[in-house]
Amino acid sequence: MSTETDARERLIDLAAQFYDQFERGSIPEMEVPTRSKSNIVFDEESNVWVYGDRTSTRSANSVRGAQKLLKAVYTIDFLADQLDQDRSSTLRELYYLSESWDVDDAQYNDQDESNQLIEDLEIVSGVTREDFHMRPEESGATVMGPLLLREQTRRGEREIHCQEDVGEGGYQIPNNPDTIEFLENEAEFVLCVETGGMRDRLVENGFDEEYGCIVVHLKGQPARATRRLTKRLHDELDLPVTVFTDGDPWSYRIYGSVAYGSIKSAHLSEYLATPQADFVGIRPADIVEYDLPTDPLSDSDVNALESELDDPRFQTEFWEEQIELQLDLEKKSEQQSLASYGLDFVTETYLPERLDQMNVV
Amino acid sequence: MPSSQSELGDTTGIAEELAADQRSISIAEFFEKNKHMLGFDSDARAVVTAVKEAVDNALDACEEASILPDIYVEIRDVGDYYRLVVEDNGPGITKEQIPKIFGKLLYGSRFHKREQNRGQQGIGISAAVLYAQLTSGKPAKITSRTRGRDEAQYFEVIIDTDENEPEIDQESTTSWDRPHGTRIEIEFEGNMRARQQLRDYVKHTAVVNPHARIELVEPKGSFKFERATDQLPAETEEIRPHPHGVELGTLIKMLEATDSYSISGFLQGEFTRVGSKTAKGIIDGFRDEHYGRAMTWTPPRSHEEADVEAALTAAVSNKGKAATADFASRVAERVGEFQRLSYHQLADVIDDVAGIIEEEYDVTFGTTVRENARSAAWRQILGGDADEAVRESLRGDLYGIIDEATSSRKDDAAIEGVADRLAAKFAGSDDNRHRFTRDEIADFVERSADATEEYDDITFGETARENVLEALWARMQTVPDDPPKVSAVAGDRDAASNLLAAMRAADIIAPPTDCLSPITAELVREGLEKEYAADFYAAETRDASVHGGDPFIVEAGIAYGGDLEEESAADVLRFANRVPLVYQRGACATTDVVKSINWRNYGLDQPGGSGIPTDAVVIMVHVASTNVPFTSESKDAIANVPEIESEIELALREAARDLKSYLNKRRSMQQRREKRNKLATVLPVMAEKVAEVAGREPLNIDDTMARIMNNVLVERERDGDVVRLVVENNSGTNAALEITDIASAEPSAVNGARVTEMDGEWFLSWEPTVESGDQAILEYELDASADVEMSVDGVEEAKLTVNT
Repeated sequence: MSTETDARERLIDLAAQFYDQFERGSIPEMEVPTRSKSNIVFDEESNVWVYGDRTSTRSANSVRGAQKLLKAVYTIDFLADQLDQDRSSTLRELYYLSESWDVDDAQYNDQDESNQLIEDLEIVSGVTREDFHMRPEESGATVMGPLLLREQTRRGEREIHCQEDVGEGGYQIPNNPDTIEFLENEAEFVLCVETGGMRDRLVENGFDEEYGCIVVHLKGQPARATRRLTKRLHDELDLPVTVFTDGDPWSYRIYGSVAYGSIKSAHLSEYLATPQADFVGIRPADIVEYDLPTDPLSDSDVNALESELDDPRFQTEFWEEQIELQLDLEKKSEQQSLASYGLDFVTETYLPERLDQMNVV
Repeated sequence: MPSSQSELGDTTGIAEELAADQRSISIAEFFEKNKHMLGFDSDARAVVTAVKEAVDNALDACEEASILPDIYVEIRDVGDYYRLVVEDNGPGITKEQIPKIFGKLLYGSRFHKREQNRGQQGIGISAAVLYAQLTSGKPAKITSRTRGRDEAQYFEVIIDTDENEPEIDQESTTSWDRPHGTRIEIEFEGNMRARQQLRDYVKHTAVVNPHARIELVEPKGSFKFERATDQLPAETEEIRPHPHGVELGTLIKMLEATDSYSISGFLQGEFTRVGSKTAKGIIDGFRDEHYGRAMTWTPPRSHEEADVEAALTAAVSNKGKAATADFASRVAERVGEFQRLSYHQLADVIDDVAGIIEEEYDVTFGTTVRENARSAAWRQILGGDADEAVRESLRGDLYGIIDEATSSRKDDAAIEGVADRLAAKFAGSDDNRHRFTRDEIADFVERSADATEEYDDITFGETARENVLEALWARMQTVPDDPPKVSAVAGDRDAASNLLAAMRAADIIAPPTDCLSPITAELVREGLEKEYAADFYAAETRDASVHGGDPFIVEAGIAYGGDLEEESAADVLRFANRVPLVYQRGACATTDVVKSINWRNYGLDQPGGSGIPTDAVVIMVHVASTNVPFTSESKDAIANVPEIESEIELALREAARDLKSYLNKRRSMQQRREKRNKLATVLPVMAEKVAEVAGREPLNIDDTMARIMNNVLVERERDGDVVRLVVENNSGTNAALEITDIASAEPSAVNGARVTEMDGEWFLSWEPTVESGDQAILEYELDASADVEMSVDGVEEAKLTVNT
């Protein structure tokens, strides 16, 4: 998207836009795409889901709108300073930092507000949060696999092999994975794993070594850095990407955000989503095929499944079939339910069979 | 009062004229034992009640003589007792009237008059006089001067409570500075613990009597309530009572007192809306109640066994063969012409024919002969000589009536059973003429139907029974007997009760309403403005309605804001015929209605959404009527009469709607002011920061501010499932907008929006016109997770801001 150097310029351009609006005597406003399920469309060119034409306006005509814009300007000022000084901060720090601003009206009411504003600024300026030097609180997820890379850290360059130079925990993905350069790769494919338990099982069983696989731990709904790195592994190293999650509607959304982009960051889909990513399982069909231990679907599970049927991202033959099957079964299964056939079942039987079927190995 | 003096006009003789209306009712002793009913149940309350009765009387006296009232009230602590002095500038009273008016309980002209009046029943001031006498033993001291007299007259009046006779202790002439008027002075046991009620009473009186000047002097303060208008209340027309509005006791008293001899004359002379036609209708009803109706039967037809002619021939003897035969055949022929006939119709026929025969044949048909003929013919009409034949004939007749009156699916056996049993009741009755009251017929039907259900095991339900009763009653005839005379009815409680029932049942047009004098909305408002420093006043006068036989008008007023107390429950001022009601607030229909209204809908604070609103508001209700229904003799609370409650509610709601639009306007003005202030602080800060960040010259933002203040703004707010579109027109002209919200789920409670569904999206459209400086709010409900987007047309883009 952008280089760091012009991130600051773009922010200042945004402030200059407000300046011009004032100077013309018009009412300052900022237009951003409506961030909702009904306003994402499939971009044929890039094969990802991006925002549609619908927009929302933040105008200084109302008190609410004026306060939003005031906060935006203060935030721009802060981000510009931060970039000037080559510092970084977390989203939460930004929220608390606003408390120190001299104008009460510029302070955030809650962190959702500041998070949302940062997203607004990303969209309007075309600069990613990472390039603003804003990072989320949680440390990024981890990677384990036959890959040598070089990371540009604040303390200098580091060359790291993601099997040999790391402990069992693996290599921790930095907040801005664009500071990484891939040096050598011996991997055949990428396997993104939802839960920590399954990731540890795969590492313990030596699955990464045996199959030449880069195991990416998603840690639930994946952070942007995780998704960005995954996309780069696919795009730059030409590795097939597969996603292995629990068999429930929430996990399908995890797959969805890896493959198609999330609704909240659809403006970054092109940068974060890996449309070629394939879903390994647990699939509703697996519940039947492997006779897995299950839990009944809760009401919210059913609602989530039904809502996915409406979600443009899931309107494919595969997903409609799977979701409808699951609604019929009224059951869900976890990744670790595979252990009902022994601890090695997943690495010796399930994954090899499935990945073979998917033409990955 | 010099000012009113000049307007006095020709009022000489009014006092004498009013005196002619007085009538006496003796219950002094009764009230001595029941003083609580009159509002003298405690020493504290006695002060308020005495003032109230004296002031009410004074105001009435002035108004009846078209004088702008100027009233002075003084309460002084004189050691053991309190002394009350009330002076008015009314026409004064004559020497002959003085003892009567002040001495005799229930002795006012008003008890017999239907006119909107404060006291209504004339027990007021005499009760105060009596109370004073009973507690202090001192007489009432009365000074009065009629117009044009050089001197005033002075009396001391004592009441003989055994005889209900006033006695004049002292009588003299005296000088008085008022050119005309009445002054009453009484001493009684009391205390000033009800000081607040007393002050409220006088203040509230001033509110609803803006034409009066009232001064109150009491031991701890004095108050002057000035006149706000020189306009006297419209003069009221006295009307006679309406037949639907009297009670049995009143009716009997009226019967006793009337000069009329006949009931018809009494009804037309003593009641309103009763002419000869209505009187006849009432009397027919009265006859039906009193004598019952006569049953009619179908006369025998030629194929039937019963034979009127033969029976008549046999019954008449010694009148010559030709005359007898002619008589019998003519009567039989005339009888045969009837579809159905009653005993008295038969009697008419026989008398008629007998008269003709007497003339033609020169014979005499005496009473006995005619009576024999009547019995014989009636027996044949009923069915024949044998009892069995009568029963059979009546059964057949009744079968037809019941069959017609009940549903077509009714079982034959049921009709048969009831007809048979009814026939037995008629045949077996003592009254050979078959005269029965409605109650008796109802009893016949009940018993016959019950027996049919019990013995024949067939249901005969309530509706069927009622239909049969109606059908029978419709076939019965009002008897030709003259109604009893007035004197007979007056002495017979049952007869009077029958008359009352007939009066109630008669269809009579509503009483005229020109006997009422509402304060008028304009003066209600002025009265409130005069006594309450508020920001907003609303008033409403409803059209007249009728309850029972009495017309009434409800008025409501609301004062809001200003100096009124915000945190406490609203003051509810209750008035009946311009008299403030001070006690028993909780028992009053007015209070009930105020509490039942959801005042939050009108923008007032009301904890819990019911009860008296807690806000800076005074709520006033005035009920004017020729007969305000009170819950008790002390006239503290208006009874819960549905017609009156409904009018009170409508009046309050109308006034409240004005309040609401005032509050809305005020709120939106305030919001805009707040917004202006807020933007005036936020935008300069933003402009400064923008200039700083952009590294450019400081900005002048006047144009932007001006534009914001002249724009049309459409904003969407979402609060849970509620979606609120606020349209704010800051421009100088009206804005006619077309607003469309496109929702991803089905909206509900759309408040007049046009909703169209297309491909799983719902289009909600409004076309509001918002006046310059005004705002409109469009609300609907939509699942909180659903998406909405808006499009707005009708205002050029440069002048429109949409904020979603």
